[in-house]
Order: sequence, then C-alpha cells, then structure tokens
Amino acid sequence: MSAANLVPGSSTRSSPGPGAADAVLVAQDVVVSYGGVRAVDQVSVSVERGAIVGIIGPNGAGKSSLLAALGGQVKRSGGAITLGGQDIAGMLPHERARLGLARTFQTTSEFGRMTVFENLITAAEGDKGASLKAVVLHPRQTREREQAVAARAWEVLRRFEMEPTADLYGRELSGGQRRLVEIMRCLMRSPQVMLLDEPMVGVAPHLTGKLIDDLRQIRADGLGIMIVEHALEVVRQLCDRVVVMAFGKVIASGSFEEVVQDKTVQAAYLT
Amino acid sequence: MGVWGFYISTLVIYFGVDLLSGISLNLQFGYAGVVNFGYIVFQAVGAYAAAVVVLGPSGGVASFQQYVFGARLPFPIDLLLAAAAGALLSLLVGLFSLRRMRRDYQAAVLLIVSLIAIQVVSADVPLFNGANGLTGVTWPLGQIFGIAPVPNSWIYAAWVLAICAVVFAAVVWLSKSPWGRSLRAMRDNEAAASAMGLNITALRLQVFVLGGAIAGLSGGLLVEYIGAWSPGAWGYAETFVIFTAIFVGGVGNYRGVIVGVLLVPVIFLELPRFLPAIGYPGLIDSLQWVTIGLAWMLCLLFRPRGILPEKRLRARRPAPISVAASAPVEGGV
Repeated sequence: MSAANLVPGSSTRSSPGPGAADAVLVAQDVVVSYGGVRAVDQVSVSVERGAIVGIIGPNGAGKSSLLAALGGQVKRSGGAITLGGQDIAGMLPHERARLGLARTFQTTSEFGRMTVFENLITAAEGDKGASLKAVVLHPRQTREREQAVAARAWEVLRRFEMEPTADLYGRELSGGQRRLVEIMRCLMRSPQVMLLDEPMVGVAPHLTGKLIDDLRQIRADGLGIMIVEHALEVVRQLCDRVVVMAFGKVIASGSFEEVVQDKTVQAAYLT
Repeated sequence: MGVWGFYISTLVIYFGVDLLSGISLNLQFGYAGVVNFGYIVFQAVGAYAAAVVVLGPSGGVASFQQYVFGARLPFPIDLLLAAAAGALLSLLVGLFSLRRMRRDYQAAVLLIVSLIAIQVVSADVPLFNGANGLTGVTWPLGQIFGIAPVPNSWIYAAWVLAICAVVFAAVVWLSKSPWGRSLRAMRDNEAAASAMGLNITALRLQVFVLGGAIAGLSGGLLVEYIGAWSPGAWGYAETFVIFTAIFVGGVGNYRGVIVGVLLVPVIFLELPRFLPAIGYPGLIDSLQWVTIGLAWMLCLLFRPRGILPEKRLRARRPAPISVAASAPVEGGV
C-alpha cells in the first residue's frame, strides 16, 4: 500500500499511483481553493483503461471538488491534468468532454423536461454535429447522424433495461433511474474515462448489484472509471484501487483491503 | 375600407408583430432558458434602423427631427438592416451579459440594459430624435407598387403574416433539430449539458443573436406600418407582455405561443384600445395592465405550464431485429 500525505496539512507531494504510466487520466498535484480554504491540496491520482479507481473519504474530504476539477466545473489553482497524454488543465468542461471525459454529478443532473431518449441522444450529439452550422448547412448528414445516434440510444436503453422509460421525462424518474440515465448518457459519448460522483445514491438495493455488474462490464470494455462513493461495500466489490482523501489530501491508496486496515484511514473516518 | 376593416386589420398586424416577438422570446426563454428581460430593446433598435434608412438624409438640427445615418434605401434593405441591427446589438449585449453569468444575474443585467437604453435614447436627441421619436416612416415595399400601409392595411397584414409564417416555420424546424435539443438540455441543466460536450456560451450567444434578429425584424415591420417610433413605444413593460403571452400560451410550445399572443397582447392589450372610453380617463389603460398581471398570476397558479404545455416528443421505436443481426454498440457499452 502506498500512503502519501499522511498528515493533514502536509505539503508532501503525492504520486498519481501505480500504473500511472499507462494511465489515460492523470492528475498531478491538483489544488482547488475556495477563498482561503484548500478543498483539494496537491492531490495526485490516475486512472488506467479498464480500471476502476474509487475515491473515498469522510464528508468534506474534497472528493467531489477533485472530480469537479478533473471535469473542469471548478477551476484548479494548481497542478496538472492530462487526458490521453493531452494537457486538459486549462480547458473548459465541454472541451474536456469532447476529448473523452464524461461525468455524473453528486446531485442527479438529468435533463428534467426532456425524455430519457432525448437525454441520451443529446449527450451523443453534444459536439459539433449538433451545431447550428451543421444543422443549417448539412441537413442530410445531420439526419443520418441522428438516425445512427437513435439506434445507439436504443441499444444502451436495452442494455440497462430502461426501454420502458424511454418516453418518460427525466423529472418523472425515480432517483435510481436518474442515476442510470446519467451513466447511460456518459456511455453515449463513447468516453475514454468516466467520473462518477456517488452513482449509487438513491438506487434501489435490488438495482445496486445490477449497476455494479454493468460498471464491471464497462470496465471490461476498456473504459477507465473514477468513482466517488460512500457505500464501502460497493467500493469493495467494484474498485481495483482505492484512494482515500481527508482534509483535501490523499492519505492512503491501495487495494480496498489494504486501505481499510490503514490506521490513518481509520482515524480519518472516526474524527 | 370601413372603420371595422381598419380596426381588425390593425389587430392582425399587431398579432403578427407580437407573434414574431413571441417566437423569438420562446426560442430564447422557452427553449434555451435565457431570461431576456431586455427583449424590447432589440425590437426597438430594429425599428430605429428601419426608420433611419427609410426616412432619407436627416435635415440636422434645423429639421423637426434629427437622427443618425439618414438614408433612403430600397426594399428589402430596410428589413434586412432592421434584423441585422437587432442581431448586432444582441451580440454586443450578449458578449458581456451571457458569457459567464448565472441565469438570474443575466435577467437582471438585461432588464438594466433595457432601462439604460431608453434613458440614453430619450436624452440623446441627435441619435433618434430623443423622447419625441421619429415620424414619417414609410413602407419601401409598398412604394414599389405605389401603395401605403394605410389605407391598405389588409395588404400590410397579409405581408406581416407571410413573414410570420416563414419565420415560424424556420424557428420550429431549428427547435426540433439537434441544435434545438441542445438548447433544451442547456435550459434544464447547464453543468450537465456542458459536461456532455455542449458549448454553453456559444449556444447562448447563438440563440440570443437569432432571437435579436427576429426582434429587430418585428420592429422594422411595426414602424413601417405605424410610421412613427419613440421611447414611449418600447418601455420595459412591453417585454413582460410578451413573457405573459408565452406563459399563458405554454412555454416551449410554439402553438401555445400563438394562443398566448392572441390572448395577451392582442385581446387583453390591443383590443381595449379601440373600445369606447369608460370611467375616468386612463381607466382602460390601467385595467389593461391589471389584466396582464392577473393573467400571469392565474396562469402560474392554475396552469403553470400554460394552456398548451411543451409537447412530449415520443421516440420512434426501432423495427424489431434479430439478435444475430444486431451490431455491437460503439463505445463499448
């Protein structure tokens, strides 16, 4: 097990973790500050293709801020972020998304007044294919693309057994279904990496196992997944590597079994 | 043409102009979630642009009205310039108000732009003749055929409705396109839309400029009918009339916009103008605004999604295919 920055407030630099050389998403010494508070303090993490990395830690540890910094939703104050070897640290969220970074949010973010089907096809079209220029100047290509995207959306719906909900508005879904829509939307973008922020919140217990299976399948298909999750049993079943954060820093990383034995981790969860 | 003919044809013209406004605002607010509380400014700039290129060279301070860039340009330059002026002003305003600002702040900024604009135009007389406004505006298309909008108001009404039909068809088509769907995604959740690869700033600016062009066009059409334009015609409250129309008719539903425009600006607002005066002077005017306010409140209370709510777009199911023939999904799902 590697343990880095064990002391909260320490400025010791952390390593992105084992396998960083093969990693598709690498964050090195990322800092996020809100006013004078360092929510993420020189954190280094990485995700490889076909791997699931879990980020755990007590409330306020900086997990969601880290994901937001990786996705571009908050500005980092320092550090480097690369996706597939390309520097994305200065890019806007949509630019990162177009390079293959997809994410879900802590609070469900379905498009509430759009149907589930529309949620999916909009995600796939969230690039230049849906631009005003393409729609006006290339209507035939747009139509053909629309048909291909629709076919793909049906495949994804079928895979997640969500076909019956295709015509329901996002706001009409249960909490768990909304989480599924978010994940399906990510998949529609054919990403390299998915960042999932508490994907199991609100998901009915009987669906949790299925979602775990689905995420394993997605991993088997070669995607890298970084997942922030409070349910440790889910993390145990799902994650190849676990990074533990507290007070904005990485306090431990390794396999699930390793980090739960770590005294620093135990202390962080108890305080 | 009798009094009734003039009365009804004028209502039809107002309906057409307000429908253009409703289409524009529905695209901006109903589809994209941009709360354009300064909408009327973009209609006004279109009206002024059309007026100054129709009136001919300004006589300067010696003339009874002063204005910038006086010219006498033929149809269709007048209306094209009206639309271009609305689009250009939208671009300028959008660049500073829409880029990195929260939606409620955007609404506040746009309302303030509306208030500032009317003060500037009223005070700066050489610009568009100040509070007195411009008068004597003619109809360039009618001049080609030797007709004026009055007494040929039915012809003008047909002209306005024809333009409405073209704009309506184009905007509905765009709204149903992937671009329109992107606008709705942005409206529903900007952060998620952005994380799905949508360029929020570009989308906002596009819809703002397109809506501004339609607003400018509607201003051009209106000024060429009534022949005059002054700050009294474009108070900020006019924006709320159009907002009420789309709330009553149904936000995000263009048929609802037709119903809302028919009910609110035409029946509630314009119709009483032609009724015989009752009560003390100004009572009818006051009641109009009371009616507008009540309509909005009652609608929010009893039918918050409007008379014709946004339509649910049902997906077309794929034809059944055999398992063997189904292709793997791209992206490794």
